[in-house]
Amino acid sequence: MAQDNKKSTVHKTQWSFQQLIFALQQYWSGHGCVIAQPYDMELGAGTFHPMTFLRAIGPEPWRAAYVQPSRRPTDGRYGEHPNRLQHYYQFQVVLKPSPDAIQQLYLDSLKALGIDTHIHDIRFVEDNWESPTLGAWGLGWEVWLDGMEISQFTYFQQIGGGDCNPVTGEMTYGLERIAMCLQNCSHVFNLIWTQDKQQLVTYGDIYHQNEVEMSRYNFGQANTESLFNWFDAYEKESQALIDAGLAIPAYEMTIKASHIFNLLDARGAISVTERQGYILRVRVLACAVAKTYYESRAALDFPLLQRHGATDDCYA
Amino acid sequence: MIVMRSKQDLLIEIGTEELPPKSLSGVAQALHDEMCDAFKEHALDFATTSWYATPRRIAVIIRQLSTCQPDRQAQRRGPALSAAFDDAGKPTRAAEGFARSCGATVGQLEKLETDKGRWLIFDARVKGKPTKTLIPDLLETALKRLPIARRMRWGASNVEFIRPIKWVVLLFGRETIASEIMGIKAGRQSFGHRFHHPEAIPIEQPDDYPALLKKPGMVLANYNERSALIRSQVERIAEKNNGTAVIDPELLDEVTALVEWPVSFMGHFNPDFLKLPKEVLIASMQDHQKYFPVLDKAGNLQASFIGVANIESLQPALIKQGNERVIQPRLSDATFFWNRDLNNGLATHIAGLKKIVYQKKLGSLYEKSERLHNIIASLAIPLKVDINNAQRAAELCFCDLLTDMVFEFPKLQGTMGKYYAAADGEDATVAAALEAYYLPRFAGDALPSTKLAQCLAMSEKVDTLLGIFAIGKVPTGDKDPFGLRRTAIGLLRIIIECECDIDLKALLDIAADNYPDAINAKDRVDDVFQFLMVRLRQYYLDAGVSFDVFESVLAIRTGKLLDFHQRLTAVTAFRKRPEAQSLAAANKRIGNILKKSTGLDNDKIDDDLLTAGSETTLAISLQAYQKKVMPMIANRDYQATLTELAGLRGDIDNFFDNVMVLCDDNDIKRNRLALLNNLRLLFLKIADISKLQG
Repeated sequence: MAQDNKKSTVHKTQWSFQQLIFALQQYWSGHGCVIAQPYDMELGAGTFHPMTFLRAIGPEPWRAAYVQPSRRPTDGRYGEHPNRLQHYYQFQVVLKPSPDAIQQLYLDSLKALGIDTHIHDIRFVEDNWESPTLGAWGLGWEVWLDGMEISQFTYFQQIGGGDCNPVTGEMTYGLERIAMCLQNCSHVFNLIWTQDKQQLVTYGDIYHQNEVEMSRYNFGQANTESLFNWFDAYEKESQALIDAGLAIPAYEMTIKASHIFNLLDARGAISVTERQGYILRVRVLACAVAKTYYESRAALDFPLLQRHGATDDCYA
Repeated sequence: MIVMRSKQDLLIEIGTEELPPKSLSGVAQALHDEMCDAFKEHALDFATTSWYATPRRIAVIIRQLSTCQPDRQAQRRGPALSAAFDDAGKPTRAAEGFARSCGATVGQLEKLETDKGRWLIFDARVKGKPTKTLIPDLLETALKRLPIARRMRWGASNVEFIRPIKWVVLLFGRETIASEIMGIKAGRQSFGHRFHHPEAIPIEQPDDYPALLKKPGMVLANYNERSALIRSQVERIAEKNNGTAVIDPELLDEVTALVEWPVSFMGHFNPDFLKLPKEVLIASMQDHQKYFPVLDKAGNLQASFIGVANIESLQPALIKQGNERVIQPRLSDATFFWNRDLNNGLATHIAGLKKIVYQKKLGSLYEKSERLHNIIASLAIPLKVDINNAQRAAELCFCDLLTDMVFEFPKLQGTMGKYYAAADGEDATVAAALEAYYLPRFAGDALPSTKLAQCLAMSEKVDTLLGIFAIGKVPTGDKDPFGLRRTAIGLLRIIIECECDIDLKALLDIAADNYPDAINAKDRVDDVFQFLMVRLRQYYLDAGVSFDVFESVLAIRTGKLLDFHQRLTAVTAFRKRPEAQSLAAANKRIGNILKKSTGLDNDKIDDDLLTAGSETTLAISLQAYQKKVMPMIANRDYQATLTELAGLRGDIDNFFDNVMVLCDDNDIKRNRLALLNNLRLLFLKIADISKLQG
């Protein structure tokens, strides 16, 4: 059904997937954000990007926005599901300290995407976030657009086991879902990634084969013996780097271990009992990284703090 | 001088970012209650009160609140007189220090003499404070005491609340109270609906508040009014479409807490999805999307739902369309899970249970189901349940926890087990039991209706109780992490109300035997039994049984709860009889005599040693009664037995009036004690009625 509609949708929509990204980058650039690039490693979510995880630690102010490809091996559906993917895109915004008008800033970003708040039903519905592997939690909402969850909105309370002070406000846009709303499209692979007079490229053109093959890898082919070995090796490496006081490379090894854990999980190689143990092992690393990073910034006298002062209106 | 104490209305509004819906009304009411209590504590009168709650605010109006506290007498006690004056009668430093702290001279202090000692005191008339000076502190204290599961910080502030606070209205009469509440300057400006009226709304006086929020604010601040409006909107839409809405009270509450200006709408989904079990459809609609399901006239689900938006949309059709686009993939997901689970079959998950830890020390769910397999066998036989079916149910009862559907909708555990077992062609009673054994889920909930389900439920509960006790997680105070109190009450209710004639003690022994020796479950059988008896007491007291009746039956120490119940009914009836009080007293007296006496080596009554007339009479009637009631007791006809035994009253009273039990002749004494012991044992076959109180 969605296939038949494709042609008519093409003419109606003005928001291709990539235009959506441009618009968000443009908008948040206008609000003092560093427009960063995706991290070049496998991440489970935009929160894992050092521009969020590490920068949320300590007193230094920070604003950043970036697209992050996110990998959730267990969510693979061999390219057969209308909106579930093992590889998808988040648009991540972090504002630290969270400004007073943060909700309005978010709503204005929706307006910048042409979403009329007098037409659509937009709601902030309680959704509290917890990442056991990152030793992190926060309170906030999922944002609903006509009943569809399009974003996660979180005030970080703890990260890497330590209190966040000041608090970072995190907004994570589910780009595929928003695009599906904007393009009035009911299947993710029919989303228009880009179009002009000559060509039309859909999300499926780019990622369908990827979903099929990666699902087969995640669920069936991934070599669990190697994965278990790698997990141990990355854990060891991370610990050694923590001991050497190198927070950033230590964090990269933590990220590696975390992704390998996700792969093992998708392969069903970890029993429920063991699962808790693996999560704890990653968490121990993440907490140690956070502590090491804090100390390294403290040793530098928190340079960004010196530049801006720690006031709420440093970006006013 | 007469102090004019006037009265004013007070409005408190805390404006916030969106509050968690499930606790919203509770938090608003708690603020209301805290403020009322605080004013009462501070001797401030008020008339009527109201509370308001929307996603973005909680508010309280207190009407006719005194503007000033009344003056009051206060007495401060200083040092003892002995320490207040030296030998020369001069005030000591202690006395002077006390006087200074009272703002007086020692000469202005008075003396208090009581039988406990003598002190210096200061009698002061404390002037009442103006209410407006008290309110800010009282409000801060109340906000800090609200029952909030998790508080949060935001920005660079150290204030903690449920969600960030955006504004505070504090209006006493027509005046604002200049103050800072939780870091926010209080004023008279409220704000309307986030999209319809984001502008400030100045409030002139407290009673204008709800009306101004409604117009121009487009916020229906009154929670109950909003809830009623949603209900009527939803019902009307369902009716217009020839249906009836399913309005779950919890969902209505949640939806009420998610909107400031409710606008309900109906949406539809593909009727093909109606092939899914109705519980799955309802869970998809209610849990994920907060929609109200709709039934047709025949009570079947319609392929439609009613949602509640928070806006008078310029294009309502788009909201409906958007919501329909969300429910469709949700139901596709559910169909995907349903088909995959059906393909797998329920029994294939038995092996998988080995990987699911029930409790670290108590092993996997597989081991638990093996234990249930054994326990249920001991129940199935006496309760005349097919043992193969019973054991099959025990094997399957955790399997649905491994299905995709239950992973997605945990609350469908049991229900999915039923559907999948039926689809697999399991016996119908087995399938039904897989759902029903979760009953009762809460106080007053229904009980499993079939004997098989009752057996499974009892097995599961008794295994849980023993296991958790064995690992030392016994409920204490308000801590009951495994919900053992609820488990215990469920077990007791099933035995008593479903009339399962089993021996609880024997059942506990069997359950204990099932655990590996290392768990030491056998050592905890008595503790679990005691725990159950405490719950049983509460169960009966709640049902209106008097505590002494309960104690009288408890003394029998029977594990057969049906029997217990019958005895309880009998003693309750007996207690109302005219003879009850005297017989209770007699039993108590006999008990005391027997307790103090030694040398009672057997219960044999020697007729030749019966000397007094009333003694002989009692012995003869006792024998006659024994003969008469023994078969009645065997038939558990306890009520009739006690009615009979009431007839002994005259002979017993006569005995005690005329016979001295503890006489000098040891043989006669022994014989009399034997007579009394026989009498006591006869009553004890029913209950220890010496416990009855007048």
